[in-house]
Amino acid sequence: MAFRILLCIWVLPVIAASSDVIAFVDKNCTGCHNAAVKNGDIDLKSLRGARTFDADREVWEKVSEKLKTGQMPPPGFPKPASDAVKSVTHWLEAEFARQDRTAKPDAGRVSARRLNRAEYNNTIRDLLGVDNNPAGDFPADTAAFGFDNISDALTLPPALMEKYVDAAERAVRTAIFGPEKRKPAAIHYPAPVRINDSRGTRYSGRDFFNYDFTGLSTPHSAHFIHRFPVDGVYIFRVVLNGHRPNQSSPARPALFIDGKQVHEWEIDATDLEGQIVEARMKVTAGEKLVSTSYLKTYHGLPPSYGGPEPSTRPEVALINAQGKLTEADIETLRKYGTRIKTDAVETRIDNRFESLDIGGPFEQTAGPSAESVRRIFTCQEKTDGCASRIIGVFLRRAFRRPVTALEVDRYSGFYAMARKHGDSFEEGVAIALQAILVSPQFLYRIEQDRAATTPAAPISDIELASRLSYFLWSSTPDEELLRAAANGTLRRPAPLEAQVKRMLRDPKAAAMVENFAGQWLQFKNMDVVRPDQEKFPVFDDGLRLAMRRETEHFLEHIVRNDGNVLDVLDANYTFLNERLARFYGVAGVTGPEFRRVDMSGTNRGGGILAHASVLTVSSYSTRTSPVLRGKWVLETLLNSPAPPPPPGVPPLEETKAGKGTLRQQMEQHRSNPACASCHARLDPPGFGLENFDAIGAWRAKDGDNAVDASGALPDGRTFQSPAQLKEILKSEKEAYLRGVAERLLTYALGRGLERFDRPAVARIVAAMPVAEYKFSALVMGVVRSLPFQNRRAADKMVARAQ
Amino acid sequence: MNFITRKHVDRRTLLRGAGAIIGLPLLDAMRPALAAPVARARRVSVVYVPNGIVMKDWKLGPDGTYARIMKPLEPFKADVTVLTNLANHAANKAKGGGHAKATGSFLSGAAPKYTAGADVRAGITFDQVAAKQFASQNRVSSLQLGCEDSRMVGNCDTGSSCAYTNTLSWKDAESPLAVETNPRSVFERLFGAVDPSLPADVRARRAMYRRSILDQTRENTLKLTATLGAEDRRKMDEYLTGLREVETRIADAEKNPLIPPIEKPSGIPFDYTDYVRLMFDLQVIAFQADLTRVSTMMLGREGSVRTYPEIGVPDPHHPLTHHRGHPDFIEKVTKINEYHVKLFAAFVEKMKSVKEDEGSLLDNSVLLYGCALSDGNAHSNFDLPLVLAGHAGGIRGGVVHAAEKTPVANLFVAMMNAIGVETDSFADSTGILDLRS
Repeated sequence: MAFRILLCIWVLPVIAASSDVIAFVDKNCTGCHNAAVKNGDIDLKSLRGARTFDADREVWEKVSEKLKTGQMPPPGFPKPASDAVKSVTHWLEAEFARQDRTAKPDAGRVSARRLNRAEYNNTIRDLLGVDNNPAGDFPADTAAFGFDNISDALTLPPALMEKYVDAAERAVRTAIFGPEKRKPAAIHYPAPVRINDSRGTRYSGRDFFNYDFTGLSTPHSAHFIHRFPVDGVYIFRVVLNGHRPNQSSPARPALFIDGKQVHEWEIDATDLEGQIVEARMKVTAGEKLVSTSYLKTYHGLPPSYGGPEPSTRPEVALINAQGKLTEADIETLRKYGTRIKTDAVETRIDNRFESLDIGGPFEQTAGPSAESVRRIFTCQEKTDGCASRIIGVFLRRAFRRPVTALEVDRYSGFYAMARKHGDSFEEGVAIALQAILVSPQFLYRIEQDRAATTPAAPISDIELASRLSYFLWSSTPDEELLRAAANGTLRRPAPLEAQVKRMLRDPKAAAMVENFAGQWLQFKNMDVVRPDQEKFPVFDDGLRLAMRRETEHFLEHIVRNDGNVLDVLDANYTFLNERLARFYGVAGVTGPEFRRVDMSGTNRGGGILAHASVLTVSSYSTRTSPVLRGKWVLETLLNSPAPPPPPGVPPLEETKAGKGTLRQQMEQHRSNPACASCHARLDPPGFGLENFDAIGAWRAKDGDNAVDASGALPDGRTFQSPAQLKEILKSEKEAYLRGVAERLLTYALGRGLERFDRPAVARIVAAMPVAEYKFSALVMGVVRSLPFQNRRAADKMVARAQ
Repeated sequence: MNFITRKHVDRRTLLRGAGAIIGLPLLDAMRPALAAPVARARRVSVVYVPNGIVMKDWKLGPDGTYARIMKPLEPFKADVTVLTNLANHAANKAKGGGHAKATGSFLSGAAPKYTAGADVRAGITFDQVAAKQFASQNRVSSLQLGCEDSRMVGNCDTGSSCAYTNTLSWKDAESPLAVETNPRSVFERLFGAVDPSLPADVRARRAMYRRSILDQTRENTLKLTATLGAEDRRKMDEYLTGLREVETRIADAEKNPLIPPIEKPSGIPFDYTDYVRLMFDLQVIAFQADLTRVSTMMLGREGSVRTYPEIGVPDPHHPLTHHRGHPDFIEKVTKINEYHVKLFAAFVEKMKSVKEDEGSLLDNSVLLYGCALSDGNAHSNFDLPLVLAGHAGGIRGGVVHAAEKTPVANLFVAMMNAIGVETDSFADSTGILDLRS
């Protein structure tokens, strides 16, 4: 570190003193940033004296940032020499580093953290063995600093308390007595109309031989994400629609659950409108992708289509549609009903699905799961003593700390009360467990203040265990972690690292991908995006899920195999299944399972910017937005968010069919100096991604115009394609790493970062090159950091000590 | 089914019937009813069936006898008004799919804009004019119910938006109101999310345990709070506030044991007959407790392709109605028409069985039944198949022969007046259809 600073001083014109910085500012900045004009609400003229760099640190950081990225001075004003800019920014950065080095360590304080929805679900799952989304109907948690696990934002709306009481009762009763008996009910899913051919198309040029025989990736299929509430038998009623040409072989609709074919029908009809097929089968509880498709949909067409296995039926009208029906006509109608078009030659191949009804549960599996029984009934006899033991074991797990005999007695009292009223042993245990699950020690993670005198007192080992498990698993500590905390080994470097590595390998670490990365990279929004059905008929719930799963697989791979965190910026691989591979135009991937696919040599390439998920969430429903995507890149990958648009500036009406292409319109917008300084930085990364349409499909043309994916950054660097844009991003890896470290620390601590956290972030980033950018190094950096391991004592205690 | 049958809906019954969260506004609404001279609440419901009717089996016989499709209404002949010659001129002039423009203009008299996009446009429907007037007096200003498909976007009929075929009610020219198809959601909208399914003693004991849990928890939390720093204490205060509200609600519920008159539905019944009955029952309950005075309900969306295997029609409805003159197809459509009327007759019967004032709920209501198309095969907008049931505002019953091609809006004006929404005109009306003489 010291060596690098020396090196800088050697290479650059030396700035000896703060006065040189002030001189630079007076020459280049104060014309607009003074007390009278005060552009951007910044008055640099008033910042004087050596102490200003500490006292007004936030302003000077902004100055450094604007100069570094070339945003200031804005276009149209004289540019200072780049050497001069560099020496000023380097001096400022060295000054900031000096301040941080000499600052008194402060760990900050996090107030009691309420479990958010994901944490509640996971915690109930790990405590009770009940995994049925109990928080599903809780009001949404408020997010702050980009995450929904921020202590100060996690208030407790009054409506939530009632939900907690209900959820505790339901979860405990499910665990002890089995899921409540549900009356069969039907859920109706209308299928989107993605294929609705006009009469007479002859499908010239369609390749009837090389297509997805399962039908899952064709627009003839329909996909629905459905939550099965309990294990049981369900009925699937599929209503068909659309047509197949006269007189094709029977259609073969099929039902898939999570990509696995579970049923197949055969229906001899060419007019499929309103035809119904049904199946009945056992399904386990949980959220699943239910798909309906036509198997081999282009097989068995009439010979004139030139497809495989042609049908042998005549391609003629079977009855005389004009005039009176003959006896023979009536016979034909009677025979086929509405199933086969008899009065005209049908030519459409728009066989599709109208809707899916899922009815059930029938024959619901009764009683508690073996898993729940094992977790709760840790003592086998139905005695009062056993009840106390059961309650004590559970209490320790639920409160995530050792409990006192008094506490156990207090909750055993509920058991005794129920028994006194004539209820059973199990009922008594249930009431006690319910009481535990509504108590604040369960619903909040409360860290005890100790009578410490410093702003950075170590938290207890048992509190550290909870911080670790909610950070890496979004759930409660397991037995091994609690034991390590209890026997005092958790804080030692080697065991701590071993614990973290163990936890990252655990499947529960998927929570980091879902909750941390899902919010950091915003792909969680895949669940709610609604691409325009008419512009993007190929988009459906199947593709939605596949896009999300690609990103999850990619990141889980990095998390669980301790991969390189720079792979997010660019990689030569990704994870695809057949559906997504076809969408990407990648050959040779068959079946619903995701597998690693080499992307080198493709236009698309790899890294997160080649993922349809983030490309979709950063687009409008009908089209791409270079501004949204540019903003996404700056915020997420370069840790350099754009400020909100200044008041009074009209937004670019991108939707208006103005003159020229969208890009030309945007360039006009940028000619307005009020907009220019930000958009010069915002738009280019978005332009560089214009080769991807609004749902992330590769395109060479946008409408009739060739895509122009070139751009120039304010610092003068240019690129011609997404691949070249990624090269530039890779060269900014320090900004990227600082961004990831800041986000990860925010997420781990559950609070926004403060100035006193900067040394911690700097230390995490500095350790990354030596650790070859391994994911575990990033996590260990957070785990070892001062704010993660310590806590500032309550203000009054610190005050008293000083 | 256990309906409230007392002469007056007294406060206690009301609370029992209405569930936990009905507050003062409803009690206020009941006050006029308890003070004798003030006019009673009157209700309107539109019950819609899709795809037209086989008219030859719908129209009255020469001597006024009910034809085959109307037969299920025969027991209520004195309560039913048969209407003839009413026409939907707006639909006839509009562009677009035959089904979409008929239903999309039915209750508004406004020609729907031909589009399948988000820029749908038609007009405010007469039920919503009434709903606006009653809004301050009821918990729910109106109900839009449906027994099929509730999507509102996309193309449902030859380039016309699904908004035109899948709902009847428009709040204004640009706001179609989506139908609610899940009885559970309808129930929760009316009564709140109360689960009344457990036996009374179990419920009581569980409530007692709950109270005791909350009690203890509050005590423990107070003790805990004393050991915490200021920020954490604020958090615990928030927690305690939430706890107190739950306790208050539980205490309140115990003071007034609340039992909605039907069990909370768990979802959409698998069987269509049960489904339709349940949706009708929810309307009766809502009317009875004066939770709302306005509802519309679609037994199927327009253009419906539902099949009716339960009555021997395994074929989809819509293609059947384009029967090309084939007798088997016509017979099947007739069966569906008949079946729908039967379901409606059960609704009429239930409305009649609920006593109110000196008469019945039906006496204070007007129910319109029918379709926006007459002959489905020809997509005709003339001589619409429509009947009324009920006597709100002195509707007499019998037959009202209108002059040929009388705008159906004349009927809507009369219906609005019958329920106390005074007006001379609506949409393209040319007068008020006389329902009283």
